[in-house]
Amino acid sequence: MENRIRPVGPSSPADGKMTFAALERAQIQGAAGLRLFLAWQIVRTALRLGAAGCMALLFGRLVMGQEMAPWSLAAVLVLVCLAAWAGLMADHAQAGAETRVSIAIRQAASERLQGLPAGLLRSLPAGALSVAVQRYPEAVSSLVIGHRAAGMMMAVGPLMAAMALAAVSWQSALLVLLLTPVMILFFVLVGGAIRERADAQERAFGHLAGQFADRIRTLPTIVANDALASEEAKLSGRLDVHVARTMGVLRLAFLNAGLIDFFASLSIAMLAVFLGLGHLGLATLPGFSGLELWQSLFVLMVAPEYFAPFRRFSEQYHAKAEGQAAAAALDRLLDTAAPAMPCLPAVDEALSKMELPSHGLVVVTGPSGAGKSTLLRRLVGIERAPRDGAAALPGGCVWVATDSFVAGGSLAEAMTAGLPAPDAARLHQAAARIGLLDDVLLPGGLSARIATGGANLSGGQRLRIAVARALLSDGTVVADEPTAKLDPRTAQAVRLALRDVAQRRLVVVASHDPALVALADRRVDLSLARMPETVA
Amino acid sequence: MTMRTEKARKLWRYAGGFALTALLCAVMLGGLSAWFLGSVALAGLSAAALTFNFHMPGALVRLFALGRTAARYGERLTGHQAALTDQTDRRIALFDAMAAAPAVRGAGWQLADQARLADYLDDVEDLDFARLRADLPAMLLAAGLVGSLIATAFVAPPALIPIMALLAVLGAGLRRLARRGEALWRQVREGRREGARELGAILGAVVPLQAERAWPVHCAAALHRFSQAEDDLLALRRAQAWSDALASLLGPLAAVSVMAAAWIAGARTEALLIPVFLAFSWLALGESAQGISRMVAAALRRRAAAGEIARWTQSASAAAVPAAVQPIAALGAASLQRRAPDARPLAQPLALALKAGSPTILAGASGVGKTSLLKQIAGWIGEDVLESEGGPLTAVERRALAMFCPHDAAILADSIRANLFAPDLPDDELWQALDAVELSERVRQAGGLEGWITQDAVSLGEAQRLNLVRAWLTTKPLVLLDEPTEHLDAEQGPRILARLLTRLRDRIVVISSHAAAPGEARIVRLD
Repeated sequence: MENRIRPVGPSSPADGKMTFAALERAQIQGAAGLRLFLAWQIVRTALRLGAAGCMALLFGRLVMGQEMAPWSLAAVLVLVCLAAWAGLMADHAQAGAETRVSIAIRQAASERLQGLPAGLLRSLPAGALSVAVQRYPEAVSSLVIGHRAAGMMMAVGPLMAAMALAAVSWQSALLVLLLTPVMILFFVLVGGAIRERADAQERAFGHLAGQFADRIRTLPTIVANDALASEEAKLSGRLDVHVARTMGVLRLAFLNAGLIDFFASLSIAMLAVFLGLGHLGLATLPGFSGLELWQSLFVLMVAPEYFAPFRRFSEQYHAKAEGQAAAAALDRLLDTAAPAMPCLPAVDEALSKMELPSHGLVVVTGPSGAGKSTLLRRLVGIERAPRDGAAALPGGCVWVATDSFVAGGSLAEAMTAGLPAPDAARLHQAAARIGLLDDVLLPGGLSARIATGGANLSGGQRLRIAVARALLSDGTVVADEPTAKLDPRTAQAVRLALRDVAQRRLVVVASHDPALVALADRRVDLSLARMPETVA
Repeated sequence: MTMRTEKARKLWRYAGGFALTALLCAVMLGGLSAWFLGSVALAGLSAAALTFNFHMPGALVRLFALGRTAARYGERLTGHQAALTDQTDRRIALFDAMAAAPAVRGAGWQLADQARLADYLDDVEDLDFARLRADLPAMLLAAGLVGSLIATAFVAPPALIPIMALLAVLGAGLRRLARRGEALWRQVREGRREGARELGAILGAVVPLQAERAWPVHCAAALHRFSQAEDDLLALRRAQAWSDALASLLGPLAAVSVMAAAWIAGARTEALLIPVFLAFSWLALGESAQGISRMVAAALRRRAAAGEIARWTQSASAAAVPAAVQPIAALGAASLQRRAPDARPLAQPLALALKAGSPTILAGASGVGKTSLLKQIAGWIGEDVLESEGGPLTAVERRALAMFCPHDAAILADSIRANLFAPDLPDDELWQALDAVELSERVRQAGGLEGWITQDAVSLGEAQRLNLVRAWLTTKPLVLLDEPTEHLDAEQGPRILARLLTRLRDRIVVISSHAAAPGEARIVRLD
């Protein structure tokens, strides 16, 4: 489906970017699907009413010994099947529309995330973001399709039923119509009480929600502190309290559905008595006397249809709150303002003075906190300097660090991800040289299994795979503290590998490893660069 | 616990009773009101109108109408209460089982991750509510069907042929839905899990990916997994819609069949009143078959969830808790085979001699297995037997003796007091401990010992210091500290660690650290 999202909502003044506005996006995306879904629901309701009419006519005339119209039997069967078909189409329309909206929102979120700077992305809580992009689009889509349609059908459905009733007896239509304001009055009263009760419960026990999840999350800590028995007893008590409080809210919340049931039942009971009296001829009730049996059967069948949309809407009571919360959370996450970039004059100065040769080993040194990593990020253009920010290395590079991305699959696949396929000998040599083939923790040689994102690897292993990739690539290599936290032998292998790459290509390394600094062709010292700034 | 189980059982009985009453009232209301209208219409044609007992059926209609309302409310309430009571029971048992699972003591607790935890909770919830969403309505529908079929067999037997035929088609459709649904649901779950895994991996490598200009591709691919899962879910919902459409034919088709069968058998006017009763009962029953696909979906979700949760708990060992714990002052092994978290042997065997009063520091590069060795000493992984001055100690026995202080210790959503895990100690001792890790000011701000804290409310450094208070307050003879100065600044870390080691001078203390150690610590290099 073509992406027709127009930016909506006010633009944020800080960066001129549009706000995410998940709810408005969803409404625009879902408008067509919602219309289709509603149309099928209306068709279904009409067909159901028609089928009820034909069935009432058929059964009524049969009982009264009147001549049976064969067409009414055929009409019942056809209309019932058509109503089922329309119901199927409505379900498909709803499922399709909700899925499309949800995917479109996720697509928009994806585009937004793709364009965010690294600094901002790293400041987002990863777990919350993962939950958000998986679940929240679904919650928002069922709010703008399912819940919205149920709300609209609450206007259309009863009206159609009332019209059908009026066709037979306008007085019975009037009766159900008159019951409605009373029902709505009760709704408002109950709704207010529910909110009050829920708020009070929230104030009193809100902190006890999610205790089970919390104790599962913290289970190793509980085990480590030998607190299993006491935590279990506490959890048991708190879950009991939680059940009691949930039931307190449900007791009221179910009153809503109970009220609709009550009014539907009441209308049937009243109509049955009025219609019965009319048939007996014992009382002359205007609108209820002189009806044919099929007509009163029809009234009896249609009256519940009048209340059904209210009931369906009340069953969606949680969809609204969930959808709105999901939309707000998506907006919050995706509209986060970028954290302020640190102002590091030494880094800016070093960058402006930096001359990068076509090949050679450039080592950036300086005490921790001086901005070595920042310099690398600004060098490759993924973090803009506060003042001006032309990246010195506009093209891509191979990034070597303990957090380097490692593609899943075999070790060979991880080493060559994103690179042209090298020949087997070169691949083997690169892996062997950096100690990847004799690692007892990574058995299997070049076909060792690597989980998605290298989840089964240590930082040192990831780094070595990144170095192997650097050996196999033919572009610039940027490395951030490549020898820190490595055992001496591996560290030496990494130094030599980088030195070797630097014979033909540019290698920029941030490091405070003296042995690596000693191998440098050129050195950028951030602690020196800072001196004139502070003196001046 | 048994009391709660007993209560849940009673509630389920009530819920079943209410549900059955509600269904019976609905079916009777439909049938009776149609019968009543037919009767009065026929009576109205003759003088019988004057003698017709009008009040009895009228009262019954009112009774069934109100009975249905009340019973439905009761069904909802008791059903939810029963499910929630069951849920408490099940969750406590699950908490126990999860605690015994080896995964808790292995490397990196997966459920500390928010996305994994959310999936896990979905599974637990699918288990909790399956009875309410699948079993109860299915049993009810079955009872209604049996009753209506028996009545049909008496009133209009030939009608059974089309009804049974439709039921057979519906049954086949539902079986197909269950089969196909299971495969689709598995795909949905796998897609979501894979998406979450990929997203987590790339979010941990934003800088390298952006530097290599590969971020947009990976980001789009990870999110696309979720959308693919949603497409699979769409297929499942479409399949469900077919079953529901088929089920919506049941009521009307059965009603028409009953009337037609009675008519063909020669029933006319008065003799048709009972068939009308039955026909309208079928219509009412048909309404309760509307959500039939949801029952199937709930059942297959339950199966998938049960399988997933069993994976966590299947290898759980109900280890016997050793009776009395004798304090120990020395622990060691002439030759300890080090192991990775997945029990693979690691490097050369190591001679280990730990003594109370002289802390041992495990040093070495990251990934060399410092944490694994700590866990091995604590008895968390492996089945090693270590020697103490009081005799050999198995892993299970050491677990009872050890306080393992993981570097990523979590904060419980609870009061600060509860987070210290020292319920028997007086307040001034707790405050002393908080003073020692330089946290008392922060705790006072947060509302004192009864103040409520959560993981999100504390910084990494504060969490680490809270973790160290736990070590300070422990009474265990064996204390294992994993990177105790991580997240603390260069001066604060050693300062706090020195105080802690003074406090723990009569215990066996093992520390994994790359920082320099104070005092007469012995260093074991693992490189």
